[in-house]
Amino acid sequence: MYETRRPDPRPALPGFESRKRVWDAQHDRYAVKISPGGYYVTNNDEMLVTVLGSCVAACIRDTKIGVGGMNHFMLPVGKDRRDDVASDGNRYGNYAMENLINSLLKQGATRGNLEVKIFGGARILNSGTDIGGSNLEFVRRYLTDEKLSIVAEDTAGTNPRKVLYFPASGRARVRRVRSVRAHVEATEKRYLDDIQNKPVAGEIELFS
Amino acid sequence: MATILGVDDSASMREMVSFTLKSAGFEVVEAVDGVDALGKVAGRPPVDLVLADVNMPNMDGIELVRELRALEGYKFIPILLLTTEAAPEKKEEGKAAGATGWIVKPFNPEQLVGTIKKVLG
Repeated sequence: MYETRRPDPRPALPGFESRKRVWDAQHDRYAVKISPGGYYVTNNDEMLVTVLGSCVAACIRDTKIGVGGMNHFMLPVGKDRRDDVASDGNRYGNYAMENLINSLLKQGATRGNLEVKIFGGARILNSGTDIGGSNLEFVRRYLTDEKLSIVAEDTAGTNPRKVLYFPASGRARVRRVRSVRAHVEATEKRYLDDIQNKPVAGEIELFS
Repeated sequence: MATILGVDDSASMREMVSFTLKSAGFEVVEAVDGVDALGKVAGRPPVDLVLADVNMPNMDGIELVRELRALEGYKFIPILLLTTEAAPEKKEEGKAAGATGWIVKPFNPEQLVGTIKKVLG
C-alpha cells in the first residue's frame, strides 16, 4: 500500500506557535484552520482552511518572499452610535486587516509585492440587513484606500464556501458547502454576538 | 489649538485617526512613516503631541521616538504609540525609547481623545 510520509512540521512564525496544525494526507502538507476573528501567517508550504458564510476572508501573500496568510472576520453591526469613518465597524474591520498585513510586513513583506484574494460575504444570516454585503463593501473600500488590488475573488451569493488557500503558491480552491449552512449560520451568529458585545477598544497605558 | 503629528503607514488608519482628532478640535499633520515624520517636523515649530504607529517601513515608531527625543524641541513633547502590537517586550522597548504611552488598536475614539487631553494637561 502506498503511504505518504508525514514530515515533522517546520517551525511556525513568532506569535503563531500555539496554532494547531494538522497533517492533511490528501494535500500532502500541514493544514491550519482559521476561525472567525482569527488570522494566521506562515512562510511554510501549508494549507489554510476556512468556512465562510457572510464573513469575509482576505488571503494575502508577498509574491517575492514566500510569506502569506489569511484572516476571517465580519464587522459588528447595529451597535454603532456613530456613522462615520471612525465607526465601530470600520475600526474593527481595519484592525482585522491590519493584523494580517502587519504580520506579513514584519516578516519582510513589502506593500508593493502583496497579492490579495478575497472570499465570502454571502447573504447567510437570517436578518434584515445584508451583513455579507456590508463586509464586502468594507473590504473593497479598505483595499482601495490602501492601494492594494484584488487579483481574484469568489464572493456574495447565498451559499457558504469552504476555502483552501496555499500561501506558498497563492493558489486558492473554493467549494460551495450547502450541507453545513445551519452550522455556519450558528457559528457566525455566535461570533457576531461576541463582537457586538465587546467594546472595540484596546488597552491604554501611560508610562509616567 | 493643539497640533498633533499623526504617523501611520496605513492610509485608512491615518484617515480614521485624523478624522477623530480633527472632530475633537485638534490640528493634524500627517506622515506616512518615521522618515516622513522627521521631514515634517524639520523647519517648523514643535507640534504639541506625536501619535505614531509602531510597525512601519523605512523607520518604525520606536526608532522615531529615539530620533525625536534627540531633537532639542522634542525632549519633552508627549509621544504616544498607537499599535496592533500587544507584546509586552515591544511595549518595554517603546517605554525605554522615551515614549509617553502605549495605545493598543482598535482605538476607541473617546478614550483616545481623552488620553490625549490628559497628556496635554
